[in-house]
Amino acid sequence: MVPSSEIPWGALLILLPLAAAILCFVWPKLAVVTGVVTMLLLTLAVGGFAWQLQREGLYQHAVGGWETPLGIGLYGDGLSLLMLAMTVLVGLAITLYARSYFNQKQARVFWPLWLLLLAALNALFLSADIFNLYITLEMVGLAAVALVALKGGRDALNGAMRYLLATLLGSLTYLLGVALLYHSYGTVDLVLLAERIDNSPVVWAALGLMGAGLLLKTALFPLHFWLPAAHASAPAPISALLSALLVKASFYIFLRLWLVLFAPLGGDVALLLGLLGAVAILWGSWQALRQTRLKLLVAYSTVAQIGYLFVAFPLAAAAGAMLWNGVSYLMLSHALAKAAMFLAAGNLLLFGGHDRIAELDRAVQRLPISTAAFALAGVSIMGVPPSGGFIGKWLLLEAAIEQGYWLLAAVMVVGGLLASAYIFKVVGYAFTRSTATPEPQSIPMGMEWAALLLAIASILLGFTAPWVFALLGIGDPFGGGAP
Amino acid sequence: MEKVTLLIMLFDLLLGLGLLWLAWQLLESRNLFKAVVLFVAFGLLMALAWVRLDAPDVALAEAAIGAGLTGALLMAALAKLPSRDKSEPLADEKGHWLLRLALLLVAAGLGYVVHSLPESAPGLSAEIANNLASSGVNNPVTAVLLNFRGYDTLLELMVLMLALLGVWSLGIERSTREEPVGPVLTTLVQFLTPLLILVAAYLLWAGADAPGGAFQAGAVLAAAMVLLLLAGWPLQGLLTGVALRLMLVAGPATFVALAGLTLLDAQLLAYPPQHAGKLILLLEVAATLSIAVTLAALFLGYRPRTNKEPG
Amino acid sequence: MNTALLYSLVGIGLFSLGLYALIVHAHLLRKILAINVMGSGVFLLLIALAKRTATPLPDAVPHAMVITGIVVTVAATALALTLMVRVAMENHRAELSDQSQE
Repeated sequence: MVPSSEIPWGALLILLPLAAAILCFVWPKLAVVTGVVTMLLLTLAVGGFAWQLQREGLYQHAVGGWETPLGIGLYGDGLSLLMLAMTVLVGLAITLYARSYFNQKQARVFWPLWLLLLAALNALFLSADIFNLYITLEMVGLAAVALVALKGGRDALNGAMRYLLATLLGSLTYLLGVALLYHSYGTVDLVLLAERIDNSPVVWAALGLMGAGLLLKTALFPLHFWLPAAHASAPAPISALLSALLVKASFYIFLRLWLVLFAPLGGDVALLLGLLGAVAILWGSWQALRQTRLKLLVAYSTVAQIGYLFVAFPLAAAAGAMLWNGVSYLMLSHALAKAAMFLAAGNLLLFGGHDRIAELDRAVQRLPISTAAFALAGVSIMGVPPSGGFIGKWLLLEAAIEQGYWLLAAVMVVGGLLASAYIFKVVGYAFTRSTATPEPQSIPMGMEWAALLLAIASILLGFTAPWVFALLGIGDPFGGGAP
Repeated sequence: MEKVTLLIMLFDLLLGLGLLWLAWQLLESRNLFKAVVLFVAFGLLMALAWVRLDAPDVALAEAAIGAGLTGALLMAALAKLPSRDKSEPLADEKGHWLLRLALLLVAAGLGYVVHSLPESAPGLSAEIANNLASSGVNNPVTAVLLNFRGYDTLLELMVLMLALLGVWSLGIERSTREEPVGPVLTTLVQFLTPLLILVAAYLLWAGADAPGGAFQAGAVLAAAMVLLLLAGWPLQGLLTGVALRLMLVAGPATFVALAGLTLLDAQLLAYPPQHAGKLILLLEVAATLSIAVTLAALFLGYRPRTNKEPG
Repeated sequence: MNTALLYSLVGIGLFSLGLYALIVHAHLLRKILAINVMGSGVFLLLIALAKRTATPLPDAVPHAMVITGIVVTVAATALALTLMVRVAMENHRAELSDQSQE
């Protein structure tokens, strides 16, 4: 028996879902079982990986035994761990939900795609090689497009096409930046790049290209044009994973590049990112408030919540590691809350046959679990204590006020108020009776509980901050020492 | 001697301008059929550029995949569009001067950046040379693809599988063509198919020491299958179900299995040097098969199924 | 002017031309062609700059990257074309539609 400290959890996080995807591609009859078992094994693997990180610190692995710069380096620290844990938590709920959601024909495509997407995300969070990251980005993008279009329909096909064009444009722009960095510094390894980088025109060009490509994929205002259509028209579990995980994946790469390569370049870029973030908060929240369809409302809310992640950039230089802890916490709590919201919205849509907000028709009585999930997740999105969203937003707000960024602080507060407005709008209609009442469809229990458990988790996050921050400090991803 | 250098420079200049001109033509031509034909020509010209840049492996991949298969895919897709969609009134371009200016500035900036790079840079050629002996192959490109950066290739095979899953879930089965295939095509296919298979086998075998390898061989083999499909051979009826799916995953599965085995020695994808050559050949054979069948299946555009299988 | 610089400039030109066409044209087939031209531009830059070695042999790492890139691009193109045909059937033309259906 191999001692569990020697089990290569990091590599297993990538290989397991790949092997499982192949298995259920060849034998579709095994798809559901394979998917569920793999998801449970992945949960175990993330636990093992966390334990390993805690004991041994930073995870570094030279793939193929070839040291960088020749080979590809895997790299895991507290931030990687947070992203992996986020993927697993959301993944468990989506797996539970999808088990009942798809029919046999759709399931045949869904499970291998979903497992490949999980593998791609894990590979992305563990890679320290900017070319390898390009491949994982393409995997994530293509899998997501295929999933959006899975159920067909005019809106979904249009949304998927727009998404595909945006994601391919983003990848190519990113790749051009990779090409410039490689030919300037002779490596695509992030650790080596961080040592070799200097202030040259190449670095500026790389920041512009890779930044633009990744921000397009992250849908930062004004590059968010593709997001609402794709996120709102996809099947519910896909909407959940798009909003919860996918925009975070490209944001994660952007954050990594910023932390190790680009942050010294200057405050002006950081300020620009902060301003775009602020506009995203106002624009996204306002659009969310204006929507008449539930899923579009939730999608625009994502545009706004992405804005919060970028408001941190101008504050970071003075605030240090604790601020990035706040950003990471915000990512995690938004992932859980937004996934819960989309799953709950999917239930409401399936139940009533539509997602018109004004005709939710006493959903509180008729579909209490899903409505409760939506409302609880809303608490975290609004940033009300004691939710996880509160911790993240509070850390941001505190830093903004301390440093005298009053405008940013005001935008964050207004964003919170607008979020309360659009959440209460939905909850309000869920209490009222509407005129037309179509025959309701029954919703499987698993689908309701998947949403509720995620929503509860997003609230409980409000109590786990010290513990999560300690884990985040492993390997010192944000510089400035662990808190 | 100087005359030769001058001629070569002139050739490079013409080739570069030709690429830009073709790109502009194919992107701006009113007729989409013409645009696709120009795209194939563009791909062939790109292959020429790769040869000029001492990248024969890339030239082979470009000719087979970039020009050949992409061209076939584009043609097939164009044929499925409603006919009035095939020529398009171009958008009113008067309002785009701002965009043109912005892109011109970006291009100029990037040009300046490239100009600022040192004239000589070794890249990783020294590291490759030092480690080539223990990589198991003599072609440095194959060594990078299947050993030094083999992990990239593993994920790349998954990208192919992803695309196929997407195409199968979206593609719509079309009734096979009604019009009979002309004698020219039939003869051409009878002549070309064995030739292409031979070329593929050679490329696969040669890849260890000379330009070639799994991707080029797979693409050429796929081209043979595409020709057979075009000539009306019912490949989609012959190759279905589990047999088809096993061929599609042969490459990825071998790769993942090898990754799992190497993990037992705690080092992902580290081959024992004395077996590296054989392992790479095994990977290449499996990958060639998968790449060929996947590319041909992408061209077919829908999931072939037996009568028993559910829809 | 040396070969590496010349071809990298052509690469940048192709990237920009492709980007322009991608933004300006509505027809999806043309957008897909534009993406492919942009990709060729990036690949050309990668390979051209790999020629700057002191030895006659160029740096092989970018070559492998471009082969990977070509395969990724053909996979994405196949998916994009299939999606385009479906979109064209729904919208009755091969362009994206802005208004969502009720």
